[in-house]
Amino acid sequence: MTRADWEKSYARAESALREAGVETSADLLKLEEVRVRFMGRKGELTELLKSLKDLSIEDKRELGPKAQALKAVFDAAIEARRAALEDLGDEAALAADAIDLMLPSIRPPKGRLHPLTTTLHEIARIFQLMGYSWADGPFVEDERHNFSALNIPEDHPARDSHDTFYLQGLPLLLRTHTSTVQIRTMESQRPPLRVVCPGRVFRHEQLDATHSAVFHQVEGLVVDENIGLADLKGHLQTFLQKLLGSSTKTRFRPSYFPFTEPSTEVDVKCFFCPGTGCPSCKHTGWIEILGAGVVNPVVLKGVGYDEKKWSGFAFGIGVERVAMLLHGVSDLRDFYTNDLRFLKQFDESLL
Amino acid sequence: MKVSYNWLKEHLPLELTAAELSTHLLAIGFEVAGHQKIGPTFSGVVVAKVVSREKHPNADKLSVCIVSDGAANWTVVCGAPNVDAGQTVAYARIGAVLPGNFKIEGRKLRGVESQGMICSRTELGLPKDVDGIWVMGEGPKLGTDVGSLLGPADDVLEVEIGTNRPDCLSHRGLARELAAYFRKELKPLGGGMIESKKESFPVAVEDREACPFYGARLIEGVTVGESPAWLKNKLELIGLRPINGVVDITNYVLHDIGQPLHAFDADKLNGARIVVRRSKNGEKLLALDHKTYDLPEGLLVIADAEKPVALAGVMGGEESAVTTATKRILLEGAFFNPAEVRKSSQKTRLRSDSSYRFERGADPESSRAAADRAAGWILQLCGGNAAKPSEATTPRVRHSPIRCSAAVINAILGSDFKDHEIKLVLGKIGFVTDNGVEFSFAAPSWRHDLFTPNDLAEEVGRFLSYENIPYRMSPFSPKTARLTPIETESRRVRVRLASMGLSEAYNYDLLSEKTLTACRLSADAQPRVANPLSEDWAVLRQSLLPGLLKNAQYNLSRAADAVRFFEVGKTYALRGKEVDEVWRVAGILLGPVLDARWQAARAPRAAFYDGKAIVEDLLEKAGAVTWAKLSEPAAGKTASDPLFHPTNSLRASINGAPVGTVGWLHPRVSRAHDLEREGAIVFDIDLDRLAEREAAAARFKPFSALPVSRRDLALTLDKTVPYGRVESVVRSCKIEELQDILLFDVYEGNNLPQGKRSLAIRLTFGRADRTLTDLEVAKAVETIVAALGKELGASLRG
Repeated sequence: MTRADWEKSYARAESALREAGVETSADLLKLEEVRVRFMGRKGELTELLKSLKDLSIEDKRELGPKAQALKAVFDAAIEARRAALEDLGDEAALAADAIDLMLPSIRPPKGRLHPLTTTLHEIARIFQLMGYSWADGPFVEDERHNFSALNIPEDHPARDSHDTFYLQGLPLLLRTHTSTVQIRTMESQRPPLRVVCPGRVFRHEQLDATHSAVFHQVEGLVVDENIGLADLKGHLQTFLQKLLGSSTKTRFRPSYFPFTEPSTEVDVKCFFCPGTGCPSCKHTGWIEILGAGVVNPVVLKGVGYDEKKWSGFAFGIGVERVAMLLHGVSDLRDFYTNDLRFLKQFDESLL
Repeated sequence: MKVSYNWLKEHLPLELTAAELSTHLLAIGFEVAGHQKIGPTFSGVVVAKVVSREKHPNADKLSVCIVSDGAANWTVVCGAPNVDAGQTVAYARIGAVLPGNFKIEGRKLRGVESQGMICSRTELGLPKDVDGIWVMGEGPKLGTDVGSLLGPADDVLEVEIGTNRPDCLSHRGLARELAAYFRKELKPLGGGMIESKKESFPVAVEDREACPFYGARLIEGVTVGESPAWLKNKLELIGLRPINGVVDITNYVLHDIGQPLHAFDADKLNGARIVVRRSKNGEKLLALDHKTYDLPEGLLVIADAEKPVALAGVMGGEESAVTTATKRILLEGAFFNPAEVRKSSQKTRLRSDSSYRFERGADPESSRAAADRAAGWILQLCGGNAAKPSEATTPRVRHSPIRCSAAVINAILGSDFKDHEIKLVLGKIGFVTDNGVEFSFAAPSWRHDLFTPNDLAEEVGRFLSYENIPYRMSPFSPKTARLTPIETESRRVRVRLASMGLSEAYNYDLLSEKTLTACRLSADAQPRVANPLSEDWAVLRQSLLPGLLKNAQYNLSRAADAVRFFEVGKTYALRGKEVDEVWRVAGILLGPVLDARWQAARAPRAAFYDGKAIVEDLLEKAGAVTWAKLSEPAAGKTASDPLFHPTNSLRASINGAPVGTVGWLHPRVSRAHDLEREGAIVFDIDLDRLAEREAAAARFKPFSALPVSRRDLALTLDKTVPYGRVESVVRSCKIEELQDILLFDVYEGNNLPQGKRSLAIRLTFGRADRTLTDLEVAKAVETIVAALGKELGASLRG
């Protein structure tokens, strides 16, 4: 091939390239056809580059870069078009892929812990942090653990407030309070001790919005040397402030329980109204939350503790009552109906 | 107990408002549960006379009346049909204010100027008597303020008195408590002994311990009529119904000073004598409540010569009751042992204001004085002559004084009260003698709750205020806080189950026999409640599942489409004379396993294998669990077994003893609960057994980085061969390199011979030290296929 021939071929290729329509190729397939036409094994540009070898060294040196430059322009055009076509393709694919993201999610079923479980755990957890161990006792009890060991003798009117389920044909009953566990714990452990006894209790009461024949209490008992009413006040105020918030105001007022002496009922300042009275606090500005007292030495003596050396305090909290306050439930029966529409409103996140 | 504040003030001068008094009462341990304001809630209403009544010229239903208030005549338009000339009425003048802040003004009614209003009782906030205006009857002077006729304003407080404080169950008792608290003096009680030489009926007490004091005084020639207004008013204020002069006086004294009394019609008592004795078999009493009580043997009764005339301390008899015809009365003032009265009251289920006080403990030393006081009132209001009372007295054993000190009181309270403060408080309550080191305290006869230093500490705390006792955080005990094993386990189980999408239910422990029958369970071996609230609450449950089935039924009938419940609770069983309690966890699954209603294909309904997964998950920590069909013989049974489908349920055992069951419901049980036959999957696990087994702490085992070899086998076997057999045969080949067996397809269909199914399993082989050769793997597969063929008749499929 002569230089003139080569230059003719070059001019042909150059003009063919211009008219090849790289920039207008409709799709990647067409673009590939164009690329093959010029840069395939027998492509025009391939041939042109190959034919450089037939030229003289001088011509090669002069025309080689020219040919390479033409190839570079072509490659760049092909690449640019390819990128553009790919972008267009992606757009189309993305458009075609679109699903309705607003359809409802597909969830594994969400289980809920019962609000009484979470409330009971919250109460017990706070006491655990204060060094209380967990204790439990049977639901079916004897008369001694439920009553007489707690200084509630058979003929005492204090029993009237404990409407009791008795078992048929057996000298047994369903415990009316978790205070039974006080006795069971002291019978099996030596002081000092610090326990909470959460659990189910039973009263022979017709069901209504505020009464249930089955409900839950958390009992607490501390026995140590030199324990007095001041310790009770300190522990219970700490507890109530952890449960209900650090600004919770408490009120300790005298009360009566046969197994504690002195006894107290503890109120917290109503957190539903500014102390002006509302249905939640029965228009008193205060909400009764628990009963407590210094363990009656008669009870300590009864379980064989030296009541001269040891003293203690005990308390009982109604779990339903706390749950009702915390969650704004006004009918106690809701806790035992197991309506999913009720349970769904509570979460296990407290546990 | 209802307390009239005015009445209280008769015993103790108090300047406080009723609301302030309530606050003080609360501070010393008496809750005030109610507060009722008594008295006129209107002003400007006077007594007037209707001088004339004319029909209203422009209205059929109205009258134009001229009323006189004694000073002037006024024209009043009235709409009441019962208004008439000559009536004495309550007239609201212009400027009067009626309840609800309703101001009376002069105004024209249908063209006639009305200068006020004639009132009905309702308009004055008083209980209604008749429709229309209040016709007052002759008597009060015209112009008298109607409010002043209604008695003074008062406050009635509902005070809660603890069972330990019967001494406060009267106006004087509560006043005495307040006097001690406020360090004031009670007003002295008026009245005195009535001197007489005439003898009353003889009194014989057969059981001196049950009745340490009995006094009976004869009063002859009484005229029993209505009580005077002041007495009726007092009783009505505290919710009592006036009956007649004598009965009202005994009630008055009861609520005034706390001593229950009883008056008999002496002419109705046979043999003119009183015997305090035990009831005999077959004796009856027609009581004042008009009911006849069969008296069990041995109750303390007051009898005449023939029969019981009162149940001692509880209620008198109807036949000897004082009526307006009574001429002679026998007035009883006694002290009965609290336990006796409580026994009588409980055995007869008869309660009264009297038994309420006696069973808590009356003042043994006030019976005589109270009876004297009542006798004085009777003479004054009913006339007659009093005889000298007959008495049977047993000397009282007094409690020995409490030896105590300020240091002991302060230790019990954790307080820092001063020695003299403490003694001052206690001196107001009882009798303190001080020897310089310690003091001794003697309780007054009306206090039955002061025996120990703790009792005294409570008194000191109450009167010096609980608010003055510090808050103290005693140091932590050296022992660390621990959970019980069952608590640890129930927490784990609760959280696991909630995370697997089950919600927690709380059911009652008591079930009805009907419920048990619907679950194919029997009440025979179950403890029962002797006094159930109803038949629905008769039997202590042996399984949590009946409750959960009800919960499922309840929610499905309220449009829930999936139900996934669990409950952690106790189950019960009779064992001889004892009751065994076992913690269990049970659950029910029903409906779609995912909340994906719009893509139903992705949300298959809960099947047996979902329930099995949950039980496996919970039992995982227990280690080696063996599974067997419920219908196969087992070492032990579970109370809930009959509720399960016998062939489509599995029993899990640990060391041969059952620990849990999972499966379908027995068809009869699902039918009884309106559940689809295959719909509900239930499980029941012994939580106590699970709690016994502590999970071992996790230890990391290194895994091989070398590639493994997998081989898939499609086996054709008889349908009746359970998959578990396949795994055990494969494992029985004891090929060390076999790492895992995975079932990845179960196929039953047309292109398989009748009675056959295909199980596709993937075997994974590998070694930790080197890669296996194809030949080694092929050899292992060959061994396994041969064993499956030999043991189970399995053949490789195409």
